Amino acid sequence: MEPKLIDHLFRHHYGKMVSVLTRIFGLAHIETIEDAVQDAFVKATVSWTHTMPDNPEAWLTQAAKNRVLDIFRKLKTHKKHVPQLSTGPSAIALSDLFLDTEIEDSQLRMIFTACHPQLDPRDRIAFALKTVSGFSIKEIASALLTKEDSIKKRIQRARKAIKKKDIRFAIPQGKELPERNDSVLEVVYLIFNEGFHSNRKDMLVRKDLCGEALRLCQLILKREATRSPEGYALLALMCFHAARLDSKINDANEIIDLRHQDRSKWHFPLVKLGNHAMVRAVEDDVYSHYHYEAAIAAEHIKARSFEETNWEAIFKWYEALYAIQPSPSVALNMVMTQIQRGNFEDAKERLQQIEPADLEQRSYLYYGTYAEYYQLQGERKKAVSCMELALLAVQNDAERKYLERKKEALLEM
Amino acid sequence: MKDFMMIFIGPDYGDLGLSPEEMQGRMGKWFTWHEKMTEQGIVKEGNALTAQVRRVTGKDRTVTDVPSAEIKELVGGYYVIQAKDFDEVEQIAQDFPDYDLGGTVEIREIMVFDQ
Repeated sequence: MEPKLIDHLFRHHYGKMVSVLTRIFGLAHIETIEDAVQDAFVKATVSWTHTMPDNPEAWLTQAAKNRVLDIFRKLKTHKKHVPQLSTGPSAIALSDLFLDTEIEDSQLRMIFTACHPQLDPRDRIAFALKTVSGFSIKEIASALLTKEDSIKKRIQRARKAIKKKDIRFAIPQGKELPERNDSVLEVVYLIFNEGFHSNRKDMLVRKDLCGEALRLCQLILKREATRSPEGYALLALMCFHAARLDSKINDANEIIDLRHQDRSKWHFPLVKLGNHAMVRAVEDDVYSHYHYEAAIAAEHIKARSFEETNWEAIFKWYEALYAIQPSPSVALNMVMTQIQRGNFEDAKERLQQIEPADLEQRSYLYYGTYAEYYQLQGERKKAVSCMELALLAVQNDAERKYLERKKEALLEM
Repeated sequence: MKDFMMIFIGPDYGDLGLSPEEMQGRMGKWFTWHEKMTEQGIVKEGNALTAQVRRVTGKDRTVTDVPSAEIKELVGGYYVIQAKDFDEVEQIAQDFPDYDLGGTVEIREIMVFDQ
């Protein structure tokens, strides 16, 4: 068996096992639980080098069950927060927790725990990736482009908050639910964006993040209680984006923009899944920013070539998006759309209203848009000098190379 | 095939003062038994009962909360399984882990009216 396969199996099972065991022993013991699961994997790695079990998944589930007994022994010393296992038949109830549907339920509880308002929003993603998704500290650090130490700290802080506030391991009900659902979707969205928009070289990690976000979102949509139009819109949005993931970068790890992507490489099954999700998303007529973003992504997917893009429709979706989320990056996208439509005057007016500093690390996009504005009007020199400004502002290597290639192309024109 | 209920009656582990080590072993046996029956595909359902007991008795509907320590014979849970007859269930019940602690398995057939 390839190491990668085991790796993923472990990763997925880690989240499952930790969630189930937490359901039994409670969040107060999360550290003991995570250590025990880690330990089970070490044992698996050792014993699997000799003989691979026929059904590795079942093997791991069995291992998790055995952990129940170990953890139980460890916790027996301090009686508080120890589950009721006073009779033999309680094993019946415990066994049920290892059924697939119950495992999913436990995982959902963990996702909702990761998004508890008592957790600092910055700590939520790290905690979710570790505890729900089974990423290692190292993987999380590299996925979030953050130092391992700070990831460790974030996870520690999240665990502390959980313990201190004595958070219940449950999906909230009533009025609390919609609010928590919002932050759950937000975390899923952020995980996806880390994978989709980051320009890190390691394509595998990026795909893993996108895949994980898709998996979590589908898990959320499986249950009636946690299902929502926003959730479906988010799934659609992620499907439409993920369909293009492979064509965003060439073999030499260079960024390929929408105009030059090979559209035949787009992953059709994901588009189909996205379309299905979209149908469900619009059953209600209240639209979230996920709805509009999905609609925009869908327009790009629909166009057979860059030239055939329906910019008019896209502009309308952006207007609607801007109405509920007036951010400088949405404004900048509207400018880009206007430029593609040839509405240069309006584009310029809009550009002048944007403060590049508001875009923070993405201010290079502002200058890049200006460059495109000049280029399409044949003002090559001005375009080049805007591109130079963009190059001054860009921080990411892959983006820098992309801009340099664009600048060279301009000089050769 | 008929449906039978195996009712598990026995003492509370805690009251017996079992060590965590012993508990661990017992739970392991329960898991193994459960898995064996699940693999055979005979388990229809099963539930464990908590140790809290409230009794309502007599025409006055007298209510008593019974401390589990006072009940020697506590119903801890049950399985509903499919089997041919009582003898077959008796065989299945051989694996019940708690006989040595004075535990009992009561086998009952589930009543069905066939017209």
